[in-house]
Amino acid sequence: MSLLAAPKPPPRWRRLLADYAYVAPALGVMLLVIGYPIYDTVYLSFFNTPPSLAMEDKIYVGLDNYARILASDSFREVTWNTFIWTVFSTFFAFLLGLGAALSLNREFIGRGLMRGVLLVPYVVSGVSAAYIWRWLYHSDFGVIGAASVALGITDRPFNFLDNVDTVLPSLIVVNVWKEFSFAMIMLLAGLQTVPDQLYRAAMVDGAGPWHRFWHVTMPHLKSVTIVTVLLLLVANLNSFIIPWIMTGGGPVGASDIWITAIYQLAFERVRFGIASAYSVILFIVMMAMGYFYVKALTRRDEAEAR
Amino acid sequence: MNRRRFDIWSLLRIVFLVLLTLFTVIPMLWMVLTSIKTQFAALQYPPEWIPHNVTLEQYTRLLSPTSDVGPEFLGYMFNSLVVSTASTILGVMVAVPAAYAFSRFRFAGRNALFYTVLLRNMFPAVVFLMPLFVMMRWLHLVNTQYSLIITYLTFGLPLSIWLLKGFYDNIPPQLEQAARIDGASRFQAFIRVVMPLSTPGIIATAIYSFILAWNEYVYALTFLNDKSKLTLPVGLQRFFTEYATNWPGLMAASFITSVPVVVLFLVLQKYFVRALTEGAVKG
Repeated sequence: MSLLAAPKPPPRWRRLLADYAYVAPALGVMLLVIGYPIYDTVYLSFFNTPPSLAMEDKIYVGLDNYARILASDSFREVTWNTFIWTVFSTFFAFLLGLGAALSLNREFIGRGLMRGVLLVPYVVSGVSAAYIWRWLYHSDFGVIGAASVALGITDRPFNFLDNVDTVLPSLIVVNVWKEFSFAMIMLLAGLQTVPDQLYRAAMVDGAGPWHRFWHVTMPHLKSVTIVTVLLLLVANLNSFIIPWIMTGGGPVGASDIWITAIYQLAFERVRFGIASAYSVILFIVMMAMGYFYVKALTRRDEAEAR
Repeated sequence: MNRRRFDIWSLLRIVFLVLLTLFTVIPMLWMVLTSIKTQFAALQYPPEWIPHNVTLEQYTRLLSPTSDVGPEFLGYMFNSLVVSTASTILGVMVAVPAAYAFSRFRFAGRNALFYTVLLRNMFPAVVFLMPLFVMMRWLHLVNTQYSLIITYLTFGLPLSIWLLKGFYDNIPPQLEQAARIDGASRFQAFIRVVMPLSTPGIIATAIYSFILAWNEYVYALTFLNDKSKLTLPVGLQRFFTEYATNWPGLMAASFITSVPVVVLFLVLQKYFVRALTEGAVKG
């Protein structure tokens, strides 16, 4: 292209070509590391793969892998764990995040510092966080057990992670600790879009704090809430580090969720075929959520364009 | 009447914030307190709430190139630095023009493509793990850091495009139009006018992508097995299996692992928060 002002604009096709040139590298990389793997996962899910991973020896089994997963007892248990894990983590992370956002949404000294401190768990490495909490929950020397004895809640240190009934709630606490501040800053950013006049008008009309919250704040937070909850749900369905490092899915599968079950199938028992089918099931659930996510985002874009 | 009510809500707010801060801080505080205890003091019941003999022994061990674990730990740190930096630079370089095009140009398939980028955030890493593993084996890249640099693009690239598009959307197109009137080509307008203005956005995106790569665990766990090639998160896990009862050492290692990202984050908090919420929150 000439460096001087062009006498007439380049032809349309050249312009279009130039447009695509900007996206082409990104597109190429995404096809390679995202597009192809998705295709290959679906493809492998119809095969029985040998543990040697010599892919030329795989055997076509149709929908057998899916049938076997859906019929197994462990699938029901793992799905139930996944459900509990995802729903409760999301609910409490959102609740704490909302509380924090509402509390921080006014000027006071040290507000920025406080927001920073609350955000630290979110940026800390997941592996570090998992070990910190393993140490806190430690059956003999854990500070949580010792504190509960000191406060008279229990008379002996309690073994949180080796108990079938307490392991999942204990892990959910860790997960909420790690991610509630994500909900907090999303909602905090959303709160900044609520016009101040509305609060003043509501106050003039005699609305108390509770009414102001329900009738002024919450309607404005609706779209941020949808996006935040969806992102939390997806992040929780995908979480691997906390259950994997802290319990490895145990004891006796009590903290096994879809992701950890897939990882075990794929890389401990090296059965890529059935693990792929498992991934596809997870993938379909994700896509359903993805649909609502994109819908929530586009609805707002349209509203903005109007 | 109104005043009284107001006081109750303020009180609730303060109590809530105090409890939440305790919940956030105590685990990290306990990590630091444990890391400066002696091994003997850490394994006491009831625990020593305040360490009596403060020692930095664990830190000097981990960070000294001549100690028994120092070279190994510093190696993990170096590997993490290399992998995170390389994949961040690669991702941002590819993402910048794409994000700009998504923000400015109206070409066929633009929306469909962009939603594909968004949807990537919905896919679990595990879905990609098996095919990428087969691919890396085929390319003979298993157990090399190239495998991580490439695979970290699965999350780094879509995220960077999404964040950067948000920043470009906020730069008024009139600036480029003015440059075009002055005779600049579209590409020149992009390089000379838009790029300098989007530097903060690029920094924010790069930091976010770096933090994600620094903390990444699943790919590193799967693709690497040579002790000398591990990154910090998997290295930490290795330490745990090797020195299972040395809790002060493990807590010191966890602390050192977290320091770079926490410092980066605290210094650039404003950009980071903007990066996280950009796009999701717009009026």
